[in-house]
Amino acid sequence: MQYFRIAGLTVGSDLPLPQMTAMTTSASSPDIHIRRGPVPETLPHPGASGPTWEIAGDQFLLRVPGVARFLLQAGREVLFEPYDRGQPSDMALFATGTVFGILLHQREQAVLHASAVNVGGRAVLFCGRSGAGKSTMAAALGAAGYSLLNDDISVIGRDGEGIPVTHSDGRQLKLWQEAADALGLTDCLGETVRDGISKHYVTPRSSIGETLPIGAVYMLGEAQPSRQSGIARLNIADAAHAIIANAYRPFLVAAMNQKPLYLQSAMAISKNAGVFLLTRQKDFARISEIVGGLEGHWREHGLLA
Amino acid sequence: MTNRVWLASYPKSGNTWFRILIHCLDLEPGDTLDINRLGTPIASARAPFEDATLLDSDIMTRAEIESLRPRIHERPDPDLGHHHNRPATQFVKTHDAYSLTPQGEPLLAGSRGAKGAILIVRDPRDVVSSLAGHKHISRDEAVTFLDNPDAAFGVSSGGLPSHLHQQLGRWSDHVAGWLNQRDIAVHLVRFEDLQRDTAHILRDAMAFAGRTVTREQVKRAVQMADFGALQAKEARTGFRETASKATVFFRRGQAGAWRDELTLRQTRDIELAHGPMMATIGYDLTFSPPPPHRKFGQS
Repeated sequence: MQYFRIAGLTVGSDLPLPQMTAMTTSASSPDIHIRRGPVPETLPHPGASGPTWEIAGDQFLLRVPGVARFLLQAGREVLFEPYDRGQPSDMALFATGTVFGILLHQREQAVLHASAVNVGGRAVLFCGRSGAGKSTMAAALGAAGYSLLNDDISVIGRDGEGIPVTHSDGRQLKLWQEAADALGLTDCLGETVRDGISKHYVTPRSSIGETLPIGAVYMLGEAQPSRQSGIARLNIADAAHAIIANAYRPFLVAAMNQKPLYLQSAMAISKNAGVFLLTRQKDFARISEIVGGLEGHWREHGLLA
Repeated sequence: MTNRVWLASYPKSGNTWFRILIHCLDLEPGDTLDINRLGTPIASARAPFEDATLLDSDIMTRAEIESLRPRIHERPDPDLGHHHNRPATQFVKTHDAYSLTPQGEPLLAGSRGAKGAILIVRDPRDVVSSLAGHKHISRDEAVTFLDNPDAAFGVSSGGLPSHLHQQLGRWSDHVAGWLNQRDIAVHLVRFEDLQRDTAHILRDAMAFAGRTVTREQVKRAVQMADFGALQAKEARTGFRETASKATVFFRRGQAGAWRDELTLRQTRDIELAHGPMMATIGYDLTFSPPPPHRKFGQS
């Protein structure tokens, strides 16, 4: 068994997770166990279900076609059973992504669909749906010297004084080949995340288990003829709406009655850091301009000297 | 039973104009049309797929995604309420070819996915110029695209498109696939007819869809969705569906514009490739007539 520190939690896993940095020490009682075991095709009497998933009490079943079935129990244990040709690396990819995100929903922790980088000791998050440019922003900022904290999943915790924080995962960024080439990161590309997908793992990985107060949260928006580029602060109502919409899986926020949890996180982030709409052209040629705009914004808000 | 009706078409065939017309049917006198808030769902949208499956589509293969699409489309309609004491019809746009998944199911879930389809077809010679503008390619390349069995939308060389892969195939096969399937009823709308007699064609299509509309509603919709008005709106506010490489979405919108836009060779190539289906739909050919005794889709 290998041990990892993911979203501030200790994870013991029988499944190798090559995209995460393992801890050098073992943990006597990890918060979460990932192990191979029998997983049913369906759950008896599910209370809610979708095309690939079912919820029954504190059990959550997820079927990833061609890869594996995962059974998440009470936010503490993940059982996996591969389908016929399921590859261990594919299982690891889904286990550290959607499975872990659902597990955090199950543990009633606020979790955003966001990448995060370290700006002067504070975490700056970039939220958006698949394809919004979260990883590209993180990679561009990484190249500008702001180290990676998270890719795709960022949990929102609180420190002892109620300040919102997030934790680094020891995770590898995933980037499209085209994005890496355009950002001059071709040399940092590792293997593709799956056979037949032109998305690659990128080095360097993020640090393991750092806890940083959140400095700013940006919602990624695309400039259009009717929507100018720029950075605008969202008022509390809009921030709350944006945070809920950018939950890792917004559907689960509703299905699991977690809106109050996200409202509280949104209010805490608005008060202590700020929620902003970053509207920009999705054009690799403009990326250094966008990074420059962000740095200016961080200086104004005291994140950078 | 589902109350969904597909608005099916090959790209650049007037689907968006038709969606705008339907949208305008619901506007009250005095309302203004906002072309950036049309509200018709699109079958290939990535976000609803991810919301429903909880899976990241960007790390899934096309076969894996397509094996799940019938499960997405067969879900009951969201509660749309009632319209004049009848369940509201849900119109959903699709450019997908009518095809089967790797498991042999209809991709769009057959009769569980929709009760019918309004198939909008446009003269492929006019599709060429529109597609060239949309994809920022030459007309020669557009002619080749229309004849490519592997042609698809939702394929990008840079990053993740906002739509899933939509297999189109050849123009003729796309039209034939929708006309020849036996899962759901199809109502054919020719773009050229819609343009010539918008009110009449719209009313017939709504009757097919089980949607009752008044003469006043139709008249108002036709006025609001006038092509010149849409061009003016796009110039003023932009249109979110304009492709990033295209300059405008509402380009010319004329039937028969190919006569002064295509070269003789381009016209001939289209007619050679698609003559039989063009003749079936009722488009006059300028070159030799199609070989006789060919049925839909045999090409």
